[in-house]
Amino acid sequence: MELNFAFLKETFFLAIKGLPTALEITFFSLLIAVIPAFFMALARLYKVKIISPLVKVYVSFIRGTPMVLQILIIYSLMPSVINSFAKRIGSSFNVFNVNAIVYAVTVFSLHTMATLSEVIRSSITTVDKGQFDASRALGMKTLQTFRLVILPQAAVEAIPNLGTLTLNLFKETSLCFIMTVKDITAIAKIQAAYGYNYIEAYIDIFLIYLLVCSAIQVLFYIIERIVKTYKR
Amino acid sequence: MRPFSTEYIIKSLKILAPFIGKSLLVMVLSVFFGTVLGFFLAWGRLSKCKVCKSLSSVYVHIIRCTPSIVLLFIVYYGLPKLGEIWFGIRAGYNGKLLYVVITLSLLFASAMCELFRSSYESVDVGQSEAAFTLGMSKFQTARLIIIPQALSSAFPVFCNEVVSLLKQGSLAFTIGFIDLMGEAQVIVARDYGAHGLETYIALALIYWGITILIEQITNAIERGRNKWN
Repeated sequence: MELNFAFLKETFFLAIKGLPTALEITFFSLLIAVIPAFFMALARLYKVKIISPLVKVYVSFIRGTPMVLQILIIYSLMPSVINSFAKRIGSSFNVFNVNAIVYAVTVFSLHTMATLSEVIRSSITTVDKGQFDASRALGMKTLQTFRLVILPQAAVEAIPNLGTLTLNLFKETSLCFIMTVKDITAIAKIQAAYGYNYIEAYIDIFLIYLLVCSAIQVLFYIIERIVKTYKR
Repeated sequence: MRPFSTEYIIKSLKILAPFIGKSLLVMVLSVFFGTVLGFFLAWGRLSKCKVCKSLSSVYVHIIRCTPSIVLLFIVYYGLPKLGEIWFGIRAGYNGKLLYVVITLSLLFASAMCELFRSSYESVDVGQSEAAFTLGMSKFQTARLIIIPQALSSAFPVFCNEVVSLLKQGSLAFTIGFIDLMGEAQVIVARDYGAHGLETYIALALIYWGITILIEQITNAIERGRNKWN
């Protein structure tokens, strides 16, 4: 098989320009999802009425449907919702000016919220229940207990799962091209379309993802090593 | 905003329902081939042969770092070319089912390798040593001591992986394979994108239903086994 190496090299450097977009989407989705996910996890743990079953259904829906489908649903729903909202408040806002990254971040943060809440919930349950009682006995308030006793321990437990979550999230940003986001996949695909060099283009995407995902894994490995020293 | 019609969801559900079989067929085939390949990978990983060990861990690492859609495209565009050059077969881009199953099996094999390895390691080494001292052969030890114990920890994870495989299968529409997702795209295109949202919601309901069903079956089997033990 004769690969077009000149094309392979050229496209690699072009496609890598989409990397900041992919990382941006990953980062902002995680950032936006953290706080809602935390409260969702608490609602599940404390079995808050009405909210807890709602969260359960939400998580089950997100985990039970393919990512592509979630993307397609939001991408066909959001523009018209924004449009009708803009009309109602009487602004002359044009939906076509919205950057596609906004949709991408929305989809991925809605998705991450569900998966992250499960990670947080499972990490909090690893902390022994006796510690709550002990803190109560020492006269600590609930908020103090969480801040000083539970969360530091839960965070250490959560790191490996958090690494997997980040990795999967970053991998799934490869689907952003459906929403016309100019990420790694989109750029390489456009390049490939000129001369039907699809194999080379996909090898490029593959290499970029391999490199970055390995880097993410190493990063989380280092974090784990550092944090382990705080573990008893 | 275009009026949202609930009737259209029901209409799409009716059109999509016959394609559930095709998606499930892809899933079952991939689970079968993936499990076989994963078994050999795990064998390599646990063996004393250094080359097999590193080959299998490199494979798992690469699959872990590759988005499923990229792997699908590499298999779809790359394999026919390889076939042409190595074997002189002009496979063309027609047997899409084959490419989808190959891709998903490759993905599933890596997950299975990790699963087999971790569940094998979860059984204490002392047990196989004890079995040896009792004069059991290697095969007997595996069949009677290790596998029954490893299975119990592996089963829920296995079902999780099957669900995630089903979801990854939905990407097959990108190469033009007509399964559930592909048919949904056909419906949307036929109406010039007019009822995209309703069709996608119908499809989401189908996928959600299937995953919930798989989860319930898993739970039922787990409960049954716990009672039996």
